Amino acid sequence: MTPPRIAATLAAVLTVLLLQATVVAPTAMTAQLSLPAVLVAAVALESGPGTGMALGFVTGLVADLGSSHAAGLLALCWLGVGIGCGLLADPRRRVIAQVVLAALACTAAGALATLGLTVVGEPGGTALAAVRGLLPSLLGEFVLAVLIVPVVRLFLRSDVLRLPVAGHG
Amino acid sequence: MTFPRRPTRRHRLTKRQRIAAAVLVAVAACFMAIDLTGSGLRGAHGGVRGTLGALYRGTDGALGPARRFLQGVPHASANRDTIARLRQENAQLKARLDQQSADATTDAALTRLRLAAGTSRVLPARVIALGPGSGFDWTVTLDVGTKNGVHIGQTVTDGVGLVGRILHASATSCVVLLAADPGSGVGARDTRSGELAVATGRGTAGFSVSPLDPKASLQVGDSLATGPAGRSTYVAGLALGTITSVRTSADGTSVAQVRAAVSPTALDLVGVLLSDASGPHRTPVGPAAQGTR
Repeated sequence: MTPPRIAATLAAVLTVLLLQATVVAPTAMTAQLSLPAVLVAAVALESGPGTGMALGFVTGLVADLGSSHAAGLLALCWLGVGIGCGLLADPRRRVIAQVVLAALACTAAGALATLGLTVVGEPGGTALAAVRGLLPSLLGEFVLAVLIVPVVRLFLRSDVLRLPVAGHG
Repeated sequence: MTFPRRPTRRHRLTKRQRIAAAVLVAVAACFMAIDLTGSGLRGAHGGVRGTLGALYRGTDGALGPARRFLQGVPHASANRDTIARLRQENAQLKARLDQQSADATTDAALTRLRLAAGTSRVLPARVIALGPGSGFDWTVTLDVGTKNGVHIGQTVTDGVGLVGRILHASATSCVVLLAADPGSGVGARDTRSGELAVATGRGTAGFSVSPLDPKASLQVGDSLATGPAGRSTYVAGLALGTITSVRTSADGTSVAQVRAAVSPTALDLVGVLLSDASGPHRTPVGPAAQGTR
């Protein structure tokens, strides 16, 4: 992990968490959209499962601690997003394919998080809510992925942020 | 150290990555267990919430106008109808004002009573962030905190209806659990019949209301206000909503669906009632109290 990548990661995580709370969640409160999850998916699809799992866990834990539900739930879900998308990382994959994969992964993670709430006994999370929210979430996550994935791809392929050989994934 | 143009394709986790993943899963599980079984992470929650709350204020200052514009886009086509309806309601209200001169004496007496009881101060606040919703707690973050006099449990209103109550408070921001939260119970009173009921949040769908007396008469169009019953204690008398349908089961119990007086997704400027969490502050009213006024 190079210093520019660490700085870029911190800036990106902080930015998406703030945008999630102040812009994305207020404008789409009836659908469960997650900008941080899209960021995790986009980075993992480009950098592999190692980076994906680390970014997913850290971002999820910060989001958990800043919320009212039990800490660890989003960390676990976004860790899964990081690993899943990381395993699908392929430098030859086209950007639209990455967008679709990111949207699918984030929708699945959102549904799992809602189910997780049911399992841990938090009010509001139901299997019905998870199923009902699938299609709106998929559409919303796709729009977010269209905005985020190309930018992340561009940055991570720049000379400054590209992975060194010894530090793959 | 060399920098390849394209990393190689990977389809499996390495041994180190598998170990790291297992460790992170275990750590996340430990966090959840600690958080669910006790208050070991309360400090961490408070610290992160306080830090993010301060950052939300700054971000909302820059992005708030754009966000409010985006929030208004879905309602743009409905605004014309809304204006026409509001004009009609305004005309009706003006007509009713003429009939209410007889109530002026009563109103003055009520005002004196309220002054004697000590009025609650209302702290204006702006919504600067919203919680994730959809299964998670329905919360909003306000730009006021403990240094403004905000404390956990205080009631929040938009000036007419109930918004929610303070769930967490840091120095410069606070988190409000919306009354619309599916896990939230609100004591309610039917303003027509005076019957007490418990209203359960249903998100954007409003509330589901069950009267304490199973045989109580609930009617479509009845207005509900916060009352002294329920799990959560709010300041009494705030509008909760209007009954839109009533379903009576075979055993005679009724459940009503209520359209909320306050839309949980369109909150902007709200007020925190700076009174006790246990309800409105009251002092005895009598000749001695009146004499001091």
